[in-house]
Amino acid sequence: MSQSRIIGAVDIGAASVTVLVGDIVNGRSLNIIGKQDATSEGVKKGEIVDFKAVSNATHAAIMGAEKSAGAQIDSIYLTQTGSHLEGFYNSAAVNVSSSDSRVSEADIARAMSEAKAKKLSDDRLYIHHIRSHFLLDNRVSADPLGMQGEKLEVGYWSIHGDERKVRDHIHVINGFGLNVEDIILSSIASGTVIATEEEKRAGVMVIDMGAGVTDWAIYQNGIVARTGVLPVGSDHITNDLALGLRVNRKYAKKLKTSFGKAVLEQDDRQEKVWMVGDQMIGDRRIPKQSLIQIVRERVEEIYDLVKRQAGELCHEKFLPAGVVLTGGGSHLDQIDLAGEKILGVPIRRGELPSWVHDNLQRHEYTSALGLLHFALSGQSLDDSALQRKQRGLLRRVTQLFVN
Amino acid sequence: MSELSGKSFRSDLNSEGVRVKIIGVGGAGTNAVDRIQMMPQEQINLAAVNTDAQALESSPIGEKLMIGKSVTRGLSTGGDVEIGQTAAEKDETKLRQMVDGQDLIFIVAGLGGGTGSGAAPVISRLASEQGALVIAFVTLPFTFEGARHHEVAENALVAMRSHCDAVIPLPNDLLLQQMDESATVLDAFAQADAWISRGIQSICAMLTQTGLINLDFAMLRKVFEGRGGKTLFGLGRGEGDDFMQEALNDLALCPLLHTPGFAKRADSLLVNIIGGTDLGISHVNQIMTAIAEKFGSKEQIVLGAVVDESCQNTVEICVIGATHVTGYRPERKVRRTAPRIDIAPEPRPSVTKKTPDDELFDTVETKPKPLVHESKLGKKRQPELEIDQEEFTFVSEDEQRGFFENTERNIFDGEDLDVPTYLRRGVRITL
Repeated sequence: MSQSRIIGAVDIGAASVTVLVGDIVNGRSLNIIGKQDATSEGVKKGEIVDFKAVSNATHAAIMGAEKSAGAQIDSIYLTQTGSHLEGFYNSAAVNVSSSDSRVSEADIARAMSEAKAKKLSDDRLYIHHIRSHFLLDNRVSADPLGMQGEKLEVGYWSIHGDERKVRDHIHVINGFGLNVEDIILSSIASGTVIATEEEKRAGVMVIDMGAGVTDWAIYQNGIVARTGVLPVGSDHITNDLALGLRVNRKYAKKLKTSFGKAVLEQDDRQEKVWMVGDQMIGDRRIPKQSLIQIVRERVEEIYDLVKRQAGELCHEKFLPAGVVLTGGGSHLDQIDLAGEKILGVPIRRGELPSWVHDNLQRHEYTSALGLLHFALSGQSLDDSALQRKQRGLLRRVTQLFVN
Repeated sequence: MSELSGKSFRSDLNSEGVRVKIIGVGGAGTNAVDRIQMMPQEQINLAAVNTDAQALESSPIGEKLMIGKSVTRGLSTGGDVEIGQTAAEKDETKLRQMVDGQDLIFIVAGLGGGTGSGAAPVISRLASEQGALVIAFVTLPFTFEGARHHEVAENALVAMRSHCDAVIPLPNDLLLQQMDESATVLDAFAQADAWISRGIQSICAMLTQTGLINLDFAMLRKVFEGRGGKTLFGLGRGEGDDFMQEALNDLALCPLLHTPGFAKRADSLLVNIIGGTDLGISHVNQIMTAIAEKFGSKEQIVLGAVVDESCQNTVEICVIGATHVTGYRPERKVRRTAPRIDIAPEPRPSVTKKTPDDELFDTVETKPKPLVHESKLGKKRQPELEIDQEEFTFVSEDEQRGFFENTERNIFDGEDLDVPTYLRRGVRITL
């Protein structure tokens, strides 16, 4: 008898709320059976500013997705972003305890719990602990159990967020009467599907440029080494255009999508474009150069800030597979070229894997697809030995919010 | 006081009786007022207040006041806001004399330094306590001047807003946009001064000159009194054959109307048009239609038109207004219709009582961005509505943050990332 689990992947962004419905059959295969987008209200820079508006939009999207799937969602996977998220790297080393110097399970557990023992202040909540590979006497080892050595070392990239803000997100889902199964960082959700396993092993950076925020993650040796959130996204470009060109947001957005470009070329210098383009009264001609300059300044700054956040890891040396762009903001013309100039690393727009159906092959859906991928693999980001405990904790946390 | 009440009916009927004083505070403020003095302004008194004796000495302004002699010994504040504030407080009596008996006081200051940021809020408070309508023009520092200057300027702006009827901030970043590529920093400062004098002159012209449609002081006061929203201020100028269209275009592109904090629509609006004898009623109508479409409906607009014979073939439009905010209390209207001189003695207790609350709200609840320009209007005369006003501040602060309202400030290395990059980098955009 086949067992099927209906999973909803919810990505609440600043521009739209995306809900994908996946049917996980026997825990092995995934069919995407429903989808719904809703225009997002009340989210700015990745954070909820108007709880009611966000709830309404999200509930409408979930309802639409269930309808299109013709099935009831059992549980929800949710993305999380926002400038309140922070990460740090913490490592711990233990001496191998047994007399024959072979690593026991107890040693591993001790090292792992010590590396994660750092206490956060009361209002902060751990979202993920992402383990790097073990080091046994400074040798990299994926699974040191039973190996011989003296010193076992392990480190975690731990991501934590403002408890109230995470809770707000969960409350939105709870308000619909559904439980949140897991929360995944947007950058990691996107990274899972947009970069290939080979790229992750070699070293790659994923930049997900959304409307509200720019999320990024750096993979090393196949695992997430660093993540970050820059609370600047394509909404900022629209806002800059509205202010700089003295047009309202509607036209600013239209100008951005029709003529926006991240690199100023010789041909653009003399050209002028119509603000509205329908010959109506009040229409005026805007120098393309000004438009592009405004966009370019912002895009270059975004890359520059990401580079500064990522620090030394954002270097050609650590990123042989370059940078992969995704998210709605990556549609901007020549945004890849502009980035290469700043980061000094080859940049390309990502491609979603071929199993993704044509009508989902859009950069806006990357995070939500990533969530489904997580739901399928049942994998938690956190290491397997502590997986149950960690998931239990998260469940406890989410259940706490239900009541 | 008796002097004021003696001519109160005159000032409503005939604008000649309005006493206007322009006070420049600090180095930047004094320089700006110096420039205004170059133009003939008969009925306007100019005054300068500074802590720096040397700078004050060189100013051609008639009425000069050095404050804080006991604090700074005639030297400047060295950029210390607290010294600026103490200096003003120490010489409160002198300052009070300076603002006494005026109907309309313009305060001009450059925020970010010591004297401007420290003393200007104190002078604003004294001026409004004396019953004058207080309109402040303040410049905000360039982004490249650093985070500290910005913080100082912001705090001062918050303080100014709680004391003035209208605060019109001029971010230097924005003014640089109006300049040529080759412009120097000095040019940018001159540009700021030019905007300030254009603004002041437009307001004064509508009060002192008579023309097609008269506007008087009472109307100006009415726009601000009892309103608790944003200040809207814009200027447009046109010359030549098609001066009408040019002026309207210029107004549409006015940088002051396109900063994040400015209201695009106003609930009460004063529009003044200054033109030559060739300015016809059809022109005025054309302007009205365009402006009503842009900023609100015609019903809420008070229109004035002035004919100045020296302005043939040119027209200057000045738009000044305020918005209601949610939570606006009609009770205010009662106060507004009351004669101004009756309310004049009242504000003192309310101001002193309310300030800590205001500050609490402004700084803790929603820190304004450097480019948010808003004034808290009509707050000071309402001792009995204190609680309402706190709600008020809260609502209006939220509304005024432009598209990124309701969000936390986006500070990275002391720069507010919500402010357009091109502005912070000083990249000039041509339109």
